[in-house]
Amino acid sequence: MSAPASTRRIEIIAVAIAAILVIVVLPLLNAHGFISNFTINLWGKYLCFALLAISVDLLWGYTGLLSLGQAMFFSIGGYMLGMHLMLMIGELGVYAQAGKNPLGLPDFMVFLGHTFLPAFWRPFYSFGFSALMVLLLPGVIALVFGFLAFRSRIKGVYFSILTQALTYGGSLMFFRNDMLMGGNNGFTDFKLLLGGDLRNAVPQRNLFIASAVALLLVYVGCRLLNHTKFGLVQRAIRDGENRVLFSGYAAASFKLFIFVLSALIASVGGALYVPQVGGINPSVMTPEKSLEAVVWVAVGGRGTLVGPIIGAISVNALRSWATRSIPDLWPFLLGGMFIIVVLFLPGGLISLPGRVSGWWKRRTAVVAVESAEKPAVVTTTP
Amino acid sequence: MLKKRPPLLLGTPLAFIAWPLIMNFFYRALCRLAWLALLTGASVHAADTPRQIITKAILAESDDARIATIGSLVGQGDESIKILLAAWKEDALFVYTAPDGTRTPVQLTGEKDAKEAQEAWRVDDGQPLKDAGGQPSRLVGSALTAVEHDSNLRRAMKAVLDLLDLSTTDLEKRVRAIQTIGFAQNPDKIAALEARSKLETAPKAKLALREALALIALKDQSDDVKIAALVELKELHTISSTDFLKATIASPEAAANPKLAQAARSALSAVDNHISWVNFFGTIFRGLSLGSILLVVALGLAITFGLMGVINMAHGEMIAVGAYTTYVVQNIFGTGLALSPFGMSISFPGFHATGWAYESYFIFALPLSFLTAAIAGIAMERTVIQWLYRRPLESLLATWGVSLVLQQFFRRVFGSNNVQVSSPSYLSDNWTFNDIIFGWNRVFVIGFAIAIVFGVWLVLTRTSLGLLIRAVMQNRNMASCMGVRTERVNMLTFGLGSGLAGLAGAFLSQIGNVGPSLGQNYIVDCFMTVVVGGVGNLPGTVVSAFGIGLADQSLQQILLNPVLGKITVLIAIILFLQWRPAGIFVTKSRSLEG
Amino acid sequence: MINKITKILSVGAVALAASFGSARAADTVKVGVLHSLSGTMAISEVSLRDILLFTADEINAKGGVMGKKIELVIVDGASDWPTFAEKAKQLTEQDKVAVTFGCWTSVSRKYVLPVLEKNNALLFYPVQYEGEEESQNVFYTAEAVNQQATPAVDYLLKQGYTKFYLLGTDYVYPQTTNLVLLEYLLSKKVPLANIGGGFKKDDKGVITNAGKYTPFSHTDYQQIIAEIKQFSAGGKTAVISTLNGDTNVPFFKEYAAAGLTAETVPVVSFSISEDEFRGLPAKQLVGQLGSWTYFQSVPGKANADFVANFKKWLPTSPAGVVKEGRVTCSPMVLSYEGMYLWKAAVEKAGSFEVDKVRAALKSGLSFEGPGGKVTSQPNMHMTKTVYIGETKADGQFKILSTIPNVVGEPWLKGKFK
Repeated sequence: MSAPASTRRIEIIAVAIAAILVIVVLPLLNAHGFISNFTINLWGKYLCFALLAISVDLLWGYTGLLSLGQAMFFSIGGYMLGMHLMLMIGELGVYAQAGKNPLGLPDFMVFLGHTFLPAFWRPFYSFGFSALMVLLLPGVIALVFGFLAFRSRIKGVYFSILTQALTYGGSLMFFRNDMLMGGNNGFTDFKLLLGGDLRNAVPQRNLFIASAVALLLVYVGCRLLNHTKFGLVQRAIRDGENRVLFSGYAAASFKLFIFVLSALIASVGGALYVPQVGGINPSVMTPEKSLEAVVWVAVGGRGTLVGPIIGAISVNALRSWATRSIPDLWPFLLGGMFIIVVLFLPGGLISLPGRVSGWWKRRTAVVAVESAEKPAVVTTTP
Repeated sequence: MLKKRPPLLLGTPLAFIAWPLIMNFFYRALCRLAWLALLTGASVHAADTPRQIITKAILAESDDARIATIGSLVGQGDESIKILLAAWKEDALFVYTAPDGTRTPVQLTGEKDAKEAQEAWRVDDGQPLKDAGGQPSRLVGSALTAVEHDSNLRRAMKAVLDLLDLSTTDLEKRVRAIQTIGFAQNPDKIAALEARSKLETAPKAKLALREALALIALKDQSDDVKIAALVELKELHTISSTDFLKATIASPEAAANPKLAQAARSALSAVDNHISWVNFFGTIFRGLSLGSILLVVALGLAITFGLMGVINMAHGEMIAVGAYTTYVVQNIFGTGLALSPFGMSISFPGFHATGWAYESYFIFALPLSFLTAAIAGIAMERTVIQWLYRRPLESLLATWGVSLVLQQFFRRVFGSNNVQVSSPSYLSDNWTFNDIIFGWNRVFVIGFAIAIVFGVWLVLTRTSLGLLIRAVMQNRNMASCMGVRTERVNMLTFGLGSGLAGLAGAFLSQIGNVGPSLGQNYIVDCFMTVVVGGVGNLPGTVVSAFGIGLADQSLQQILLNPVLGKITVLIAIILFLQWRPAGIFVTKSRSLEG
Repeated sequence: MINKITKILSVGAVALAASFGSARAADTVKVGVLHSLSGTMAISEVSLRDILLFTADEINAKGGVMGKKIELVIVDGASDWPTFAEKAKQLTEQDKVAVTFGCWTSVSRKYVLPVLEKNNALLFYPVQYEGEEESQNVFYTAEAVNQQATPAVDYLLKQGYTKFYLLGTDYVYPQTTNLVLLEYLLSKKVPLANIGGGFKKDDKGVITNAGKYTPFSHTDYQQIIAEIKQFSAGGKTAVISTLNGDTNVPFFKEYAAAGLTAETVPVVSFSISEDEFRGLPAKQLVGQLGSWTYFQSVPGKANADFVANFKKWLPTSPAGVVKEGRVTCSPMVLSYEGMYLWKAAVEKAGSFEVDKVRAALKSGLSFEGPGGKVTSQPNMHMTKTVYIGETKADGQFKILSTIPNVVGEPWLKGKFK
C-alpha cells in the first residue's frame, strides 16, 4: 500500500510487457518453429504452477493463513477435467484398440474388471459439466472446511496442520483403487479435448495461451481486489485479527471468501495443468506438494502478486535443469533455498532490488533514510 | 435313508449302535498294530542307526534322495535325531573331506578358539573326529561347506520330528505336533494320540489332544461319532476347527442328517463367538500398542511444538537420526560398518560379538540414539530455529527445508536403500493367551511408552531443569528478567524433544523400515496426536495417542480396510477439532492470542 | 517417383559412406536412460542405471552397435510421474535418442507411453508388471503375470497348499495380478472360501477386487497379521504377497513376531529380489519364497561370467555408482538382456530406425542371457525361464524349481475359466 507510485507503475508496465510476450509473441515464435513444442509445453506447466502459487500467496501473503491444502484443490481441478478427458479417449484407448472395450470405459476400469460406467462418471461426457465441476467441487469443499475451521477460530499453525491432514486424507482416498479414480496411476493417455488432438502442437499451444490468459486474469482480478476495502480488511486480518474482530468486522466471513477464492484459482490451475502434462495422479495431492508451492511463493516474495509468479517459474525452471544436471544435489538446493529465504530474505527475490539499492545507498552514504527503511517494510506491507 | 444302510445286521436298534462300536474296535486294534510296528521300526533297519541314516542323507547326491532318506527316520525315537536335525537347520553340520578324499559329515560345537576353530564330532557315531595321529581335531566352519537344506527338506525333517515331538518336553512343540496330526485327520494316528492323552498333564496339550481326536473323529463313518465330536469341538471352540466345521456343514452327510448339521452349526457359532471375543481383545491390545507408538513418536514433538511453539517439520528426521544410530550401533557390535559419504570413506571396526552379547546392542543403542538426536537437535536449534521463536509459520517452512536436506544427507551417507536392522530375539517372539497374540515387541513398546512418559514427567516436575523449562515456556520475558538464561534453556529443551524423537527412532527400527524417508511416514500422525491432545499439555498427548490408536485399530477391524480406517480417523480428528479447537485438555491462559 | 530415386540414392550414399567406414567409426549412437535417481523410487531404480552403464561399456568395448559406440543420455525421473513424461519428451524430441531404457513403476510407464506413441519412439521396460498392455512402442523384457505369479501358484499347489491369502500394495500391479490369480486359483478348483483377503463385487456381481490392500509406506500390519493367523489356523496356507519394497520390513517383522514362519505359513513375494533384500531383516525372511526369471544363484557359465564381469567393472565405474556389497537381480538382468536384444535387432535390421528395429525384434531374436536363453516375441514380450527360489540368510535364493521357455502373455484376464 505504501509502495511509491513509481514502483507500482514499473510493475504494471513490466506485467503488461510480460503478458504480451507470453500471450502473443511466444506462441507466434512457436508456430513458426523458432521455439520448440517441448519448451512451450514446459512453460505452460510453469504458468499453471504460477496460478497455484498465487492461490497460496493470496492466503499466506495477504491473509496470514498458511494453507497446505492448495495442492489438493489443484489436483481436484485436474481430476475433474481429467474425468472428461478420460471419457474422450473412447475408442483410441489401449483396450479399445485391442477390441476389448466395446463400451469405451476408461482403461483402468477395464483393468479392474468393471463392466459398466459408474453413475457419477456419466455426466463428465459433457465438457461444460466438467468445467463446472472444476469450480464447484473445490469450491464446496473449501466452503465446508473453511466454514467449520473459521467458525471455531482455527488459525495460525493449527490451520496449517489441519489443512495438511485434509490433504493427506484426500491423497489416501485418491490412492485407493476402489475409489474408481484410477488409484495410484491416476489418469493418463489423454487424446482429445474439445475436438483437438492433445498429442499435436496446435492444441498444446492453445492450452499454453489459455494458461497465460488465465494467469493474467487472476493477476488483474487479485490486484483490483487488493485495492478495494476488502483487500484492506484482508491484510488487517493478517496483521491483527483480534483488532479487526473488535472493530466489528466478521473476520471469519472474509477469511472464508478468500479461502474459497484461492481454492478456485488453484483448481483452475490444476485443470489447465492436466492436459498439458498428460496426466494426473494422487502424488500431486500430497502435503509436500503444497509445501513446495509455499517455497515458490517464499522465494519469489510473498505478499506481492508478481513474487509468486516469479518464484513458481524460477524454482521450476531450476528444478528442470537440476534434475537433469545435478539430480543428487537437487534436494539440498531446494531445502537450502527454503532455509536461506526464511532466515535471510523474508521478502523473497522481489525484495532483492530494493535491498541491494538500499544497501548501495547506505554504502555510498547518501542520506536517504526513507528508502533505506523500505525493504524491511516490504516484507509485511506490499 | 433306508437304502443307504448296509444290508447286514440291520433293522434292530441294537445293530444300529453296535455297528460303529465294532468298527471302532477293529479300527483301534489295527491302529495299535501300526503304532507298534512304527515303534519297533528301528529294528527293521537294524543295520542303520539314526546317526548312520542321517549321514547317508547328508552324503546323498540329489535333493529327492535326501528327502527320502530323512523320511525313513519317521517313527524313530532316538534323541540324536533331534540334535542332529536341529544342528542341520542351524548350519552347524559340515562335510569334512580328508586328505585321502573320504568325505565325513561332522558337527561343529563348542566355543570358537583364536583361530575360529571348533570341536568336530562325527555324525555317524557321535565320536570326536580324529586326525591321522589319532588326536581329536578342531576344524574351522567357514573353511568347510555347510550342509544345505531347503524348505522341502525341512518339511521332511518336520514330519520326523512331529512324532518325536509328541513326547518332547517342549510344550509348544508338543502342541504343534499334536495339531499337525489332528489337522491331517488321519485315523491311523488315533492310537498314538490316545496313548499320549493318558500321559499328558499340561492343560494346553490336553486341549490340543482333545481337539485333534475330535477332528479325526469327524472323518468317522458314523454320524453319532461325528456328533459327539462336534459337541466336543463346540466345547473347545478352537479357531483352527472353523474350516473343518464349515466342511462338515457343507458335506452331504450333514444334508442328509439334520441333527448332524445342527450340531455342526452350533459348534461353528460357538467358534465364531470365540473369534469375535478374540478380535475384540486383540483390537484393544493392538490399539494400545499403536497408541504407544504414536505416543513415543509424538512425545518429543509435544515438547518442541507444545511447550516451545516451534513447528518442527524435521521432527521425523530426528526420528530417523535415532534409527540410523541404532543401525550403526548394531553394526559396530557385529562385523563393523563402512560408509562412503560424499566421496570420503569412513569405517567403523566391529566387535564381532555373537549371541546374547550381540543382541544386547539394542540396550546400548537406546541412550546413544537419544544422545545423537539431541545433539542434532541442538545443532539445528542453534543454526536455524533460535531466530524463529516469534515466527511459528516461518519455523514450519525453515524446518521443512532442514528436513529435505537431512533426508538427502541420509541418502548420501547410508545409501538410498533401506538399511537392515535385525530385531534381537527378545523382541521378536510372542506370547499367545487364548488365541490373542501379544507380540513381545508390542508389549515392550507399551512398557517403553509408559517409562518415557514417566521419565519426561520426572524431568519436567522434579528437576531444576524442568522448573526452568516450565518457567521459560510460560513467560520467556519474565523468566529472562529473573535471570534465567533463556537461550540455554531453549537449547536444552529442544535437545530434549529431539532426543525423545531419537529414542522413538531406535524403537521404530525394531518394527519397521530404517530408510531416508522413515520420518515422513510419521510426521502427520505426530502433529495430529499433539494437536488433538491439546498443545502444551503432556497428559493430553497421552490420552490422544491412545485414543487415536484404539480408534484406528477398531475402525480397521470394522471396515476391514486399513486405509478407510485411517481416513475415517483423520476426518474424525478434523471434526473433533471444530468442537474443541484447543484439543482435549485446554491449557488455560488469559492471553488473547493463547 | 523422384522421391523414390532420391531415397535409393541416399541409401546408396549412406552405404558408400559406411564402406569407407573407418573415418566414421568413432560415431556414437544416443541411448536414453530414464530412471528415478532421486525420490522414493531411487531405492530400486538406481541399480538399473548402473547396470545400463555397465552394459553400454561392455558393448562399446566389443566394438559398439554396428560400429557405433553407445552414448548414454541419463535423465532423472525423480520419482515424479509428470517429470517422467517431461524427460521422455526431452529424450525423444530434443536429444533424439535411438532407444530408451527405463521406467520402473506402472504409472511412470503410463505417463511415458503417449510421448513414445506420438514420436514413434521405443522403450525397453524391465520390471515385472501387470500386463493388459501391448504397445508397439514398448518392448517388455519384464515378467508378465504368467512368468512370475502363476508359476509360483503352480508350485505352491504342487506342494499341497490348499489356502491362499492375497495381500498387496494398493496399485495397479497387485490389483491386476490378484484378479488374475483369483481366476487362476478358481480354475484350479480352489474354493472361494479358501482364498483370503476379501473380495468386492460390483452391482452386477462381478468380482472387481480381490485381496487385501495397504497403501505405500504402510507401517502397521498388526491387524492383517492377526487375520492371516486366524485364516491359516487349520489348513495348509500360503500368503501371496505383492507388497511393494519398503512395506515388506514392517510386514515381515510383525509376521515373525506373531510366530508365523516359512515352515508353517510361507509367503511368496513378487517384489523382493536380491537388491531389495539388502534392506530387509534377513533373519525374519529365511525360507520365504520368491519367483523371478533370474536369480544371482542361477547356475551356468553365462551367469557366472556376467556376475564376475559386473563385479570387475564396479571399481572402474563412474562416481555415484555404489561400489560395495552389490548384487544382481532380475530387473537388472532384464535391462542387460534388453540392451543386447536391441543391439541384435539393430544389427539384423541394419538400421537404428524404430520401425525396422521393431520388425527385427518381432521376428524372434534370441540371446543367451545370464538367466538362460531369452527370445523376443511378436507381441513385444520375451520368452524366458522362470525360477522359484527360497531366501537364504545371506540374501541369495536357493532355486527350488525351474520352468524353462515360458512365453510372455500380457492378456490374462478372463483366460482361466
